Amino acid sequence: MPRFKARIIVDGECDAEILFIDSKISFFGEVDPYKGIIRGKNVGLRGRALVFRGGRGSTVGSYIIYALKYYGNKPACIVVERAEPIIITGAVLGDIPLFEIYQFNDLREAILRGARRIIHRVGEEYVEAI
Amino acid sequence: MHLTRRQERILRGEYGWSMAKALEIIVRVGESLGAEKLIEIKHAHVSGISYLNIGEPGLKLLEELAERGGRASVYTTVNPSCIDLSGSSIIIDHSVARQQLLIHKALERMGFNPTYTCIPYLHRPPAPGEHLAWGESNAVVMANSFYGARTNREGGPLALAAALTGYTYYAGLHIMENRVARYRIVIEDILSERDYSSLGLWIGENIDDIPLISFKQRPDYGMLKLLFASAAASGSHALIIVDNVTPKGSYRLDIVERISIDGRELEKYHGDVEYNGSILGYVGCPHLHPHEFRNLVRLVMKYSRVRRGCGLLVSIPYKYRDYLTGEVSMLRLKGVDVVFGTCPIVSRLTRRFDLVLTNSGKAKFYLSKLHGLRVGLADTDVIVRSVMEM
Repeated sequence: MPRFKARIIVDGECDAEILFIDSKISFFGEVDPYKGIIRGKNVGLRGRALVFRGGRGSTVGSYIIYALKYYGNKPACIVVERAEPIIITGAVLGDIPLFEIYQFNDLREAILRGARRIIHRVGEEYVEAI
Repeated sequence: MHLTRRQERILRGEYGWSMAKALEIIVRVGESLGAEKLIEIKHAHVSGISYLNIGEPGLKLLEELAERGGRASVYTTVNPSCIDLSGSSIIIDHSVARQQLLIHKALERMGFNPTYTCIPYLHRPPAPGEHLAWGESNAVVMANSFYGARTNREGGPLALAAALTGYTYYAGLHIMENRVARYRIVIEDILSERDYSSLGLWIGENIDDIPLISFKQRPDYGMLKLLFASAAASGSHALIIVDNVTPKGSYRLDIVERISIDGRELEKYHGDVEYNGSILGYVGCPHLHPHEFRNLVRLVMKYSRVRRGCGLLVSIPYKYRDYLTGEVSMLRLKGVDVVFGTCPIVSRLTRRFDLVLTNSGKAKFYLSKLHGLRVGLADTDVIVRSVMEM
């Protein structure tokens, strides 16, 4: 099972299906917290392991991540290449596990080759993609 | 990160849920930026409080933080919101007043001062070397560059977390080694408000690092406000050192390049300058200092009233409601729309104008980008002349 070393920013259990977006996301504007979807793509975030490059755009994005929790649409965990203040703040407020992957491109490869789930146990310093 | 025993107790929840969440945000963000410790701040300024920006999610979070015991640990001020707090504006839309006032209620319940202004330095001018946690980009540049204080350019939620805990992470501009200018910009002849705004927009777009600017003549306070606000809008600046203005000892120099700017390069920032059709004149971005406000009153008094079909919008801090009432009434009698604790960047306008004329590069930047308006830069006297009749 491929393991990817991670910096655990907000620790928590995760065993969920991957939603992979190979870019940065501005939660403000690109995510609809009421419906729990990514606008334009129409894919749901709820209960998924959200894997993407990192945050961008307005700091209001933190409130949107909190709102995902408030409206019951939060992802199971967030996995990024680079965690910046918008994502970190949102994950803390929304009680969403947040992992920063050192070799993000290796994880990307694994997902493109067919990995379906992200698994992380509390206390471990890596995530698995199967 | 090294934490004190008190900070560890806060994180464990001994001071309540809101304090714990707030400190966790600061610690996690600080760690990701390489900070080794937290520092105490003297003043937090919270931005991102307009309902039109943060919406229901922001309102719910602020209410939850207030409900679960969140209280300011340090002196805290707040940014403008999306409604005119005098309730009399016909240009600023009031349709979300109910929700916006719920935000105010939550903020004030947490002990934040109801300043509703983007110039927190009016309420408490920072001392050189003081550590702050300020949101609102124009205020951040003023704090670092005019007052010689130390703050990073915080997002709304981080400034909020700093307000609740009284701490911020020790990184970025809090550390002297990061307050170093590498570019010297020499300005020969620049005098007008429009020039300072254009120069700010140019710096924001073209200079990534911390610049040192040398002016032939020392610019006044109002001009610096326009310059800093404009640069912080089109760029991500937090410190712009100005010769003979920025307090010595609050920065270092290591100049590697000297840059001269041609006046013609600045002209492209002037925008639309054909003064036809319905014009909205806008002054007050950043909010006017009392001195600037009185100068504006003197200017407006030379005219009889605002032209039919045009508007003149003036945004000022909420505080003036208590002691500049005479001047405000005089302006209103001439048809000027004076608004308290808000501005057109964080609010919605009730009607469209063919052209907005403003002296502020920051207002031009956001009104054209966010609201899709046609905007031109002009000096205050030109703006007033364009929208008022003798």
